[in-house]
Amino acid sequence: MARGKDKKKRKLEKKQEGDDVPKQVPHTLESLREKDETMLANVDDEEKLEAQKDMELDELSSYYENSYEPKVLITYSDNPHNKTRIFGKELCRMIPNSISRYRQRSSVKRIVQSALREKVTDVIVVNENQKQPNGFLLIHLPNGPTAHFRLSSCKITPELRKDYKEITNHRPEVILNNFSTRLGLTVGRMLGALFHYEPQFRGRRAVTFHNQRDYIFFRHHRYEFTHDGKRAKLRELGPRFTLKLISLQQGTFDSKRGDFEWIIAGRRHQMETSRRKFFL
Amino acid sequence: MIITEDNEVDIFVASKIGSFKHIKYHTDHSKNSKKNIENLVDIKTLEKNEGITRLEWGNPEQTEILIGRKNQQIQVYDTVRGFTKSYSADFAPGEVVGLGRCQRKLLAAVSSGVVRIWSKKTEDIVQVGKVDRMRMCADDSTVFGTGGEENDLKIWRIGEAAPTFVAKNLAHDWLQLRRPVWVSDLVFLRGEGGRLAAVCSRHGYVRLYDTRAQRRPVVSVDFENMAATCITNSFDERQVLVGFGRGQLHQVDLRGGKPDKGYKGAAGAIADIAVVSGTRLIVSVSLDRQLRVHSHASKELLYHQYLTSKLSCVLVQTESCTPLSRADAELKEEAEDAVKVEAEDPDELDQLFDGMETVGEKPKKMKLKPQLEEVPVKRNKPSSEGSTSLQEVDTEDTEDAIKKLLRSTEKLKKKRDQKKREKKAKSVFHNA
Repeated sequence: MARGKDKKKRKLEKKQEGDDVPKQVPHTLESLREKDETMLANVDDEEKLEAQKDMELDELSSYYENSYEPKVLITYSDNPHNKTRIFGKELCRMIPNSISRYRQRSSVKRIVQSALREKVTDVIVVNENQKQPNGFLLIHLPNGPTAHFRLSSCKITPELRKDYKEITNHRPEVILNNFSTRLGLTVGRMLGALFHYEPQFRGRRAVTFHNQRDYIFFRHHRYEFTHDGKRAKLRELGPRFTLKLISLQQGTFDSKRGDFEWIIAGRRHQMETSRRKFFL
Repeated sequence: MIITEDNEVDIFVASKIGSFKHIKYHTDHSKNSKKNIENLVDIKTLEKNEGITRLEWGNPEQTEILIGRKNQQIQVYDTVRGFTKSYSADFAPGEVVGLGRCQRKLLAAVSSGVVRIWSKKTEDIVQVGKVDRMRMCADDSTVFGTGGEENDLKIWRIGEAAPTFVAKNLAHDWLQLRRPVWVSDLVFLRGEGGRLAAVCSRHGYVRLYDTRAQRRPVVSVDFENMAATCITNSFDERQVLVGFGRGQLHQVDLRGGKPDKGYKGAAGAIADIAVVSGTRLIVSVSLDRQLRVHSHASKELLYHQYLTSKLSCVLVQTESCTPLSRADAELKEEAEDAVKVEAEDPDELDQLFDGMETVGEKPKKMKLKPQLEEVPVKRNKPSSEGSTSLQEVDTEDTEDAIKKLLRSTEKLKKKRDQKKREKKAKSVFHNA
C-alpha cells in the first residue's frame, strides 16, 4: 500500500519539477567504471601533451600522417576449414587493398619477413579451433606493435543470411568507439590503421569497432540517410565478430623473446581486481 | 611493518620518447603525490629517434648523469646545474647501448659493436661485435663488459686491444644441439673487483662467470620460455634481480643456483631495475608506463605511478640528494597559498553555511513560499503551520532569505552545468 502511494507521490513530484531536473543516469558497470589514471579525459595538461607526443612518435604515427596506403595480408592457421576461409575472404573484401593467402606451413616470423619484402603494412593471422575461427593476430609492419586477440562469436555472411556480393569495393568509413585508456587508444589506432585513411563516402559503407567492457565488437553496415536527413537507416552487411585483447607486444611477432607492453596471461587475478575495472 | 622515519629517494626515469623525469619518492606514503614528479626535458621539443636508451651515473658522487639517445646523442646532465655537455657518437651506426666514465675518459658503445673511449687528447676504438649492452664495473672503472645476440660475454680492460676474458658457451645439450646465446644484459657483482660477472639472456637463462676459475659459467639458472631483459645487483652477496619480457621480476640466488623471490605487479616487460640499498627497496620501470617500488623483504608493492610514456631506464640516487627544481619556488607559493587559504577560509565557510541554511530553515522557507513564486526548490508540501505565521516575518528578513534562496538555486544550476560538462568530457564520442 505504502509503496504504491509513494510511487504516485514521486510521479507527481516529477511532473512538478518538469524538464529542469536532469534525467538520472542508470548505474551500469560502465557508468560506475573504476577511474583509470591512463585515461586522457582525467589528466592534466602536461600529461596530455606528453601522451600526445607519445602517440605522435610511435610506430603507428606514419599512418596517421597519411604518409602511406595500408596494404594488408590476411592468412590463416594451417589447413583452415571452410568457415575460416570464408571469414578471411570476407575480411579481404572489407579491408581495401588486402590479399588473402594460405599459410603453406610457414612460420609467422617468416611470413613477416616476406611481407616486409612485399611492402605489406599489416599482417592478420586468423587462427582456428574445431572449425571455428578463434584467434586474431594483428602485426603492424615494419616495426610492430603486435596485438593478439581472442576471436569469438564470429558470424560470416551466410550465417547472417546475407550475400557477400553486397559488399562493394568502396573504401569504408571506420568508426572506433569507446577506446579510452592509453592501451585502448593504441589498440584502436592499430585497428584503424588497417583501412585506407580516405573513405569513399559514395559507397556508404561503415565498419565499426565498438569497445564495451573490453570486448571489441565488429559490425559492418551500409547506411542510407532518410529524406529529412536526420537519421540513417542501417543495413548490416556482415561479417560480425568480437575481439578481446590477450596481449600487446612491442616489435614484430616474437612471443617467446619479445617485450610485451601489456599481457594478461599469468596475472589475471592480480589485474582483474574488480568487475568494474576495464583496460581498454 | 611500520616505517617510522620518512626517507626521501631521488629517482631519475627516462622514456622511449625521450622524456626525462625526476621523481622524489617518500617512504612515508602520504607525502607521495604528482607534485613530486618533474620533467627535466621540455616535451614539446622532442622528435623522433630521441628516445633514451641508456642512463648511467657519471661519477661516484652521483651528481652527474650520462644520457644516451637513439640518435647517438650523448648528453651529460648535472643534477645541480642541468644539462652541461653533449657529444655525438656518430662513429658507427646503431643506438647507444652502453655508457661509462673512467676518470676523465668517456666510454660509449653503439649497437653495431664499437666502443669508443674518449679523453681530451686521445681517442680509442674497440671492436667488440654486435652488442646489446655494455656496462662498466663499479669497483674497477678500467674494466667493462659487453654482450649481445650470439655474442657471448667479453670483459675488456681500457687500453688493451684484446679482451681479458671471453666466455665460453655451455656444452651441447642432450640432443647434441648447440645452445643459443643472447646476452641481453650483464652486471659485475658488487665487491668482487670485476672478477664475477652475471649475465641474463632472452633465451631464458641467468649465468654467473668467474673470470679466474674457468671460461664456462660457474652457475647457470634456467627460466624456460622467459626472456630476461635486465639484471642488476641485489642487496646481498651473490644475489641478482632479473626482469623479464613478460613482466616478471625475480631475485636469483647465484649460490644456490635457483630463483629466489618474485615481485608481482607489472603488466608489461620490465625495462630496468634499480635498488635503494639503505631502505632495501626495489625500483623498477616497465613498458606499461609504470614505475613501481617493491619492498625487498616482504615482496609488497609499495608504490606505483603512471608516467605517461614507455619507460626505458631508471636510476636511483643514493649517495646524494637533489631537491626538486621547482620546490623552492613552490615553497614560497605554498606559504602564500596558506595565507590566502586562511583568508579565504571564512568565506568558504560562509558559503557552506549559506548552502546549509536553505535546508535547515525549512519552516521559514515554507512561510515565504506564497511571496516567492519563482522558487524552483519546493519539493516538500507546505506544512499546515506555515500559513498562519506569515505576518510575523519582517520585511528585511524576507529580502535576505530571497537572496539566499536565489544564491542557492544559482549554485544548484552551476553544479548541474558542471556535471553536464564533465559527462561530455568523459563521453566516448568526444574522446574518440
